[in-house]
Amino acid sequence: MGVKLNRETKLPHPPVRGTGASVPVPQEEEVRGLLAKGKAKPAVELAKEIHKRCGCPESEALLVDAYAARIRSLWKTGLKEEAKALFELVHERYSSATARLREVGVLVRASDGNLEELLRTLNDPALPQEIRRAIENAVRCQVCDLSALAQCAALTADHPLRTAAAALVKAFAAVTVGPVKEAALVLPEVSHRGPLAAWKILVRAIAYFYRQDDEACERCLKIIDPDSAPARLIPALRTMLRSRTDERLTFAADSLVAQVCGNKLSLRRALEALESAFETRVQGKILPEIQRAMTACDVAYPELVERLRQHIHVRALQLDLPIRKVRAALGGASTKNAYFWRLYARSVESSRGPIGPVTCALWEQFRRHAVAEGWFEENGPEAAALYLHMAELLLEVSVDSLETLQSDFAEQFSGFQTFYEDQPPAIRAVEAKYKKRDLYFLSPSPLFERACSIDPHREAFEQWLNWARQESDWRVADYVAECWHRAIPNHSEPLLYLMESAEKRGALNKATAFLEEAQKLDAVNPEVRRAALRLLIAQTGRHLRQRKPHLVEQDLAALEALPQAQVTDRPAYLLALRWTCEVIRSDAEMGSSFLSQIGHLLGSPAAAILACQNAGALAGLTQEDFDRHLPQKVSLDPADSLVSATARVCILGDDVGATFTIPTAWHGRLLQELTNAHGGLEGRQLETLGRAALRTNQKELAYAASIAGLEMGGDAEARFLLLRARALPEWEFERRDDCITAAVELGRRRRDTSVINEAVELRRGRPGAKTNFFDWLDSEDWHDFSMTTEQIHAVLQRERHSPTFPTDRSAPFRVSFSRETMFLDDEDLENDDEPFTLDDVARLAAEMSQARGRRQKKVRRDLPGQGDLF
Amino acid sequence: MKTNRQANIRLNEDPREILGVPPDADDARIRQAYLLKVKENPPDRAPAAFERIRDAYEVLRDPRRRALHMFLSADPHAPLLSLLPANRQERKFTGPDPWLAVLREK
Repeated sequence: MGVKLNRETKLPHPPVRGTGASVPVPQEEEVRGLLAKGKAKPAVELAKEIHKRCGCPESEALLVDAYAARIRSLWKTGLKEEAKALFELVHERYSSATARLREVGVLVRASDGNLEELLRTLNDPALPQEIRRAIENAVRCQVCDLSALAQCAALTADHPLRTAAAALVKAFAAVTVGPVKEAALVLPEVSHRGPLAAWKILVRAIAYFYRQDDEACERCLKIIDPDSAPARLIPALRTMLRSRTDERLTFAADSLVAQVCGNKLSLRRALEALESAFETRVQGKILPEIQRAMTACDVAYPELVERLRQHIHVRALQLDLPIRKVRAALGGASTKNAYFWRLYARSVESSRGPIGPVTCALWEQFRRHAVAEGWFEENGPEAAALYLHMAELLLEVSVDSLETLQSDFAEQFSGFQTFYEDQPPAIRAVEAKYKKRDLYFLSPSPLFERACSIDPHREAFEQWLNWARQESDWRVADYVAECWHRAIPNHSEPLLYLMESAEKRGALNKATAFLEEAQKLDAVNPEVRRAALRLLIAQTGRHLRQRKPHLVEQDLAALEALPQAQVTDRPAYLLALRWTCEVIRSDAEMGSSFLSQIGHLLGSPAAAILACQNAGALAGLTQEDFDRHLPQKVSLDPADSLVSATARVCILGDDVGATFTIPTAWHGRLLQELTNAHGGLEGRQLETLGRAALRTNQKELAYAASIAGLEMGGDAEARFLLLRARALPEWEFERRDDCITAAVELGRRRRDTSVINEAVELRRGRPGAKTNFFDWLDSEDWHDFSMTTEQIHAVLQRERHSPTFPTDRSAPFRVSFSRETMFLDDEDLENDDEPFTLDDVARLAAEMSQARGRRQKKVRRDLPGQGDLF
Repeated sequence: MKTNRQANIRLNEDPREILGVPPDADDARIRQAYLLKVKENPPDRAPAAFERIRDAYEVLRDPRRRALHMFLSADPHAPLLSLLPANRQERKFTGPDPWLAVLREK
């Protein structure tokens, strides 16, 4: 008996002065209340106090009841010896205990294992119901030997307990020696409410277990009474069902699991332990578990040892564990075949670290071994897909970072020699084949070239050309386009690109030749038709600059003959070219007539002036020419039409491939109109106007266009947030970042990939984004574009309620532009001076000088005579 | 060539297993298996299964996607348990004694 029981064994002695009369016991209710709450120990203490004070039969009965509850409680908690000792003491000391402890006595006797003595009582027909229940409960919880119960001589042969036990013994043996039919599991001899009901369910669970019906087995396990004797098998069964492999099993249960499931379960448990060890990232925990897992695998699945070793090795590499110790724990080096290199490459690729040359080097290792092992051919489509994948990985890195990574890698990389220690000759032979150091995978260009030469297709060439277009040297992209054209001669895209490139360099004859070739391939292609128009316009511009009117006439005739030149506002631009031609010829009358026609076509004299001015700029007209042939004052009808007129001409400019610029002298008026627009303008007009303003660094105007656009709301919000981001000064980088992020999130939700691409490029600061001063966004977190709906709303609200263009924190030094602009309907003409800050000039100069890498930034100069209108 | 074009099959799933074709099956065999599976899982009755089958076929019919799937299907973070064969666990009949020993153990 434990020490714990010493206090309880100090039982109170019989009363010294007892009255013998039945009297109410004080605090009895309190003791009963404690017993009802299951607090047997304090109940015993209190009852002892009461009995000391009162010393009457009633207080003794109360105390014995409290002891009975305490004995039950000890029994339930598994302290059976202690329960038995306490029972004996109470039974001996108190005369009233015999009757009151009868039920508890059944429990105590059951623990003796004396089944016969326990069950014999059941033969008494006058046995009180509670005693019968107690005995049955003891059978339910205690009886593990069904054979002994089936043969119990204390019961009659036809006693339901004996017949049920006999049926269960037979069924239990049947389900554990082989498959059984459903009928064998019915067991009508065993009552669902009887003390052996849990056995019936256990037999069924075992049968389902062997039938591999794990769900049914688990269902049975769930309904087995956890206090019943058969419940002792539940942990072992659950372990074998794989649902709980972490539970500590008894020796016999472990033995059962090993006998039934063999060593495979040991491997499962070893692998789970290894997974947990990897999660801790503690070397001291991981290495022993690796060893255990490898040993278990060697016993259970020897054919899987190598594969498991490779996976564990890659995990260890991820955690930077000492490789020699890992190798020792693994029982040898893992095989460095294609499977390993692919796994390792994917591991590095999916890590949070920088992706780039190292990953490509690993994929190159995979490629070598995959080819050698026959996964695919050296020049098969799979190899091409791999090269493309490697190129894409390099494109993930920003241009500047890639250059640094490339040089560092080339300097430090000495190969994977350490990986090839202790490798089979076949593996070493593959590596030995590539003796010459070839770091082709450090640059996207050779990767694209290899991919496109093996498997030439449109997507691959498009990716290659898109990358090459960002290079400052035009010959890189031209080379790609030529490769594309050679590989797939019937694609018009490379020809169009070559045409455009030649056109930009002023090589119009070459451009024309490429266009003719493209027309032969696909004359009805809208891109080809637009290119034809654009090229003829460029040619006309050249002839105008060369002052060759007869050639201009030919060009214009050719242009007018093009069906695509007769749609939208294009005829107006052709007339503007004719106007330019007349200006060169000094034919003021014809010039005026064309100007009037253009104004009619575009619906505004201001639009006509802007179109003529841009066409004149193409032809190299002087300020004097503009002064002479364009009106100095213009009447605007309706009064707020300048924004519409300007936007319409800018759209026309984009359409014909001659990006127009807006005279800075128009700013004041345009800003005024934009401020008072109140939704009277179209989104596309505003966006084009804003972009045109940005071309000449007129950020304030672009900012104003974005205000009007954001006020419109709707689907165009994302586009105007991007316009706002471009229009903001550099030092407002946090605001810019918010606008870009909100634009990406909106684009994502509205599935507008063009917005997303533009925003990503803008944030990366790629040359394609036309701004490149946002270098800090090239940091590692550039790709974090997530924003909640509330955050987007907050950004939109803030931008909508910021109508003023942010000026520099230092006091701006403003200079007036030399020329005045007068609109006849302006109320206050003297306020129309167009301010232009020196900061703007300094910023523009800084942006021009801060070319990114080898890139050259294009900054369009404003039109000549931009302040001379009206 | 983005990595996650297919939405209904995971990268670590083998499209050949979904269509029930062996690794060395040629294009004709793959197509035959695809048509059979679609017949068994028409889009109106089993839309989810149909989408998986269609995506698996899309991966297998395009050599570039098939190649990409091959590269990207390796999952270094997959649980080590997934390396074990998925076939049913062997369960030996031992007779009642080892079972009863667990019940009798104190």
